[in-house]
Amino acid sequence: MNLNDCYNYNDFRKLAKKNLPAPIFHYIDGGSDDETTLKRNTESFLKCDLVPNILASVGEPDLSTNVFGKKIDMPIFLSPVAMQRLFHHEGDKASARAAEKFGTFYSMSTMANSSIEEISNISSGPKMFQIYIHKIKGLTDNLIDRCKSSGFNAMCLTVDTVTAGNRERDHRWGFTTPPKMTLKSILSFMKRPKWTFNYLSHEKFQLSNVVHFTKKGSSIAKGVMEYINEQYDPAMSWRDAEYCIKRWGGPFAIKGVMSVKDAKRAVDIGASAILLSNHGGRQLDGSRAPFDQLPAIAEAVAGKLEIILDGGIRRGTHVLKALSLGATACSFGKGFLFALGAGGQKGVEAILQIMHDEIRRDMILLGCKNIKELSKSNIVFR
Amino acid sequence: MNLKDCHNYKDFRKLAKKKLPSPIFHYIDGAADDEVTYARNTSAFDDVDLVPNVLRGVESVDLSTTIFGKKLDLPFYLAPTALQRLFHYDGERAVGKAAQKFNTMFGVSALATVSVEEISSMIDTPKMFQFYFHKDRGLNDSCLERAKAAKFDVMALTVDTITGGNRERDLRTGFTSPPKLTLASLFSFATKPMWGINYLTKGKFELPHLQDFVKEGTSTNSSIGSYFSTMLDQSMNWKDAEKLCSKWGGHFALKGVMSVEDAKKAVDIGCTGIMVSNHGGRQLDGSRSPFDQLAEIVDAVGDKLDVICEGGIHRGTHMLKALSLGAKACSGGRLYLYALAAAGQAGVERALGLYKSELERDMKLMGCKTIKDLNRNNLRFRR
Repeated sequence: MNLNDCYNYNDFRKLAKKNLPAPIFHYIDGGSDDETTLKRNTESFLKCDLVPNILASVGEPDLSTNVFGKKIDMPIFLSPVAMQRLFHHEGDKASARAAEKFGTFYSMSTMANSSIEEISNISSGPKMFQIYIHKIKGLTDNLIDRCKSSGFNAMCLTVDTVTAGNRERDHRWGFTTPPKMTLKSILSFMKRPKWTFNYLSHEKFQLSNVVHFTKKGSSIAKGVMEYINEQYDPAMSWRDAEYCIKRWGGPFAIKGVMSVKDAKRAVDIGASAILLSNHGGRQLDGSRAPFDQLPAIAEAVAGKLEIILDGGIRRGTHVLKALSLGATACSFGKGFLFALGAGGQKGVEAILQIMHDEIRRDMILLGCKNIKELSKSNIVFR
Repeated sequence: MNLKDCHNYKDFRKLAKKKLPSPIFHYIDGAADDEVTYARNTSAFDDVDLVPNVLRGVESVDLSTTIFGKKLDLPFYLAPTALQRLFHYDGERAVGKAAQKFNTMFGVSALATVSVEEISSMIDTPKMFQFYFHKDRGLNDSCLERAKAAKFDVMALTVDTITGGNRERDLRTGFTSPPKLTLASLFSFATKPMWGINYLTKGKFELPHLQDFVKEGTSTNSSIGSYFSTMLDQSMNWKDAEKLCSKWGGHFALKGVMSVEDAKKAVDIGCTGIMVSNHGGRQLDGSRSPFDQLAEIVDAVGDKLDVICEGGIHRGTHMLKALSLGAKACSGGRLYLYALAAAGQAGVERALGLYKSELERDMKLMGCKTIKDLNRNNLRFRR
């Protein structure tokens, strides 16, 4: 199996599983607790159906949309994901280059393995930075200011990781970064010699954006969950969010908003967008799926800020359903990560091409010329 | 396993799988993307239950129905499907003859492998020609004229194939027509030698309605998806449909209408019927199933044109449910295609016979003597 055999999400996932050591594959693939929310995120798209209009003379549909003050060529972009260097030795560079090629947002995690400045040098495409509020004073300001001077277009504050989710697959596989060597994990790395060779022979693993502030950045001999619990400030409040928005001064999203009340509050503190997200089912299991929650959120705040649907997207039709119900755009993490694990930059380009083709094809079949034409009238709930 | 062991849709499917090279089986059996809509087309029928009436004196049952001005002995017909000679060497000849035997309508695809003239000289029962709006207007005119001259009763314009659906099984098996021989497909053909021998010895594979106009009609390997995307006119609009409708001058249907708004427009441009259909789940995955959408459409236009429910039908009771909601008739492709692949004309006849006896039995159990007796009082939705 290689990239040419990948026609959809499941294929990339399969190939990533072949390429990646098991602890790393399961770190991407897993959710929290029983993974019910992870599963529901995708299943929620099945409870409504599209109703196409015929003879609409669509011609070539326009897939572009505006988000964070930027026109992007397709209505889905890459969610911020930590430590992409683990999934492919080119890590964030591969994702950023691929996103630029498709004229859509690449998002950088605070815990990226490339620095704000490095990525800014290699990509002139639209870029968002995802920020965590750390306990260490000064780190937040430092990150915001560096993004500003490096020409990032948007910023988002993740609010659903106040404490780490219970990712049991990581417990079982002993997933830590850099990888901890237990007998079981050593075996899994030996089974993936190519990954291991690339991991060891390329630049050193580090959390490039925070390495100057915390020695944890260069060697987290502990799990991600422990890192989150140790480093992030659990006392983070709406006031901190407001502070970040003011200091940043540009398009700003709150990532991980789920309730209508919080969406309204995001409007009040001056956020320009929310990422409707449960962190890909990796935090509070049993929490609601973004798509299930979308109609209520759209009814409350559509027009007042941009709504990005993040979670469970596997298909172009999922994107179209979300846009029809009022999302401004969608984003995905696992969707491109498996592709990154499967084939680096080429893999991410392949999944973006597939998503682009699916959205295009499905808009034609739906009878819609542009994103604005998508509306509730395209959808019937079962 | 042979034809005598086939007692329902699933059995025919199983036998077809045994007989056909896998790319061809999966071309019939597959659908778009995750095949969610394909699955829903059938499972939609499970959301509603039949409520029988007793003591109605139902010693004889009349299954006949009238659509497009033609009386059919059965309340369902054989939907047009492309490339039938790939499934069995007799192709449309087998299906047409079986349809005639049961006096129901036979839909002939623009991508048929037997010509309208030959079909017309072979059977005198009702016939529908399914039409694709090609970029080549000469080809369009030729199709229309030939169908008219061959005395076809109904013209159906397919409107849900503006671009090809994402049929991933075809991508994986490398399905093209005529079959392209790659290493993988060669292996699957080699394991089904009877199909191969028949395919090669029972006459050349051709698309008689297209071959004077396009290379794709004869020898070039082309997938159906790329055919839709490259040959058909994507700018097709309501004006074009209206012109075709008046040019044809007879019974005219739009195949693939799903929204109420479009159903009303179909009335406005002079259509006498619509097929509520999502192309068997082969085009836009995630789109609504015909049975889910049927009631709204019937309420809006059921008294103005013939509403046909097409897709997902495996059983007589599925048809009774659709007819009870107000469909004038049902139709299906896979409904008879597996049977065609399983055993040619004899297979299709056995399938039609089984559906007929299911309908008769179920009508009796429902306490209904004629199709007109079926109505929404027979149904209860679970939610």
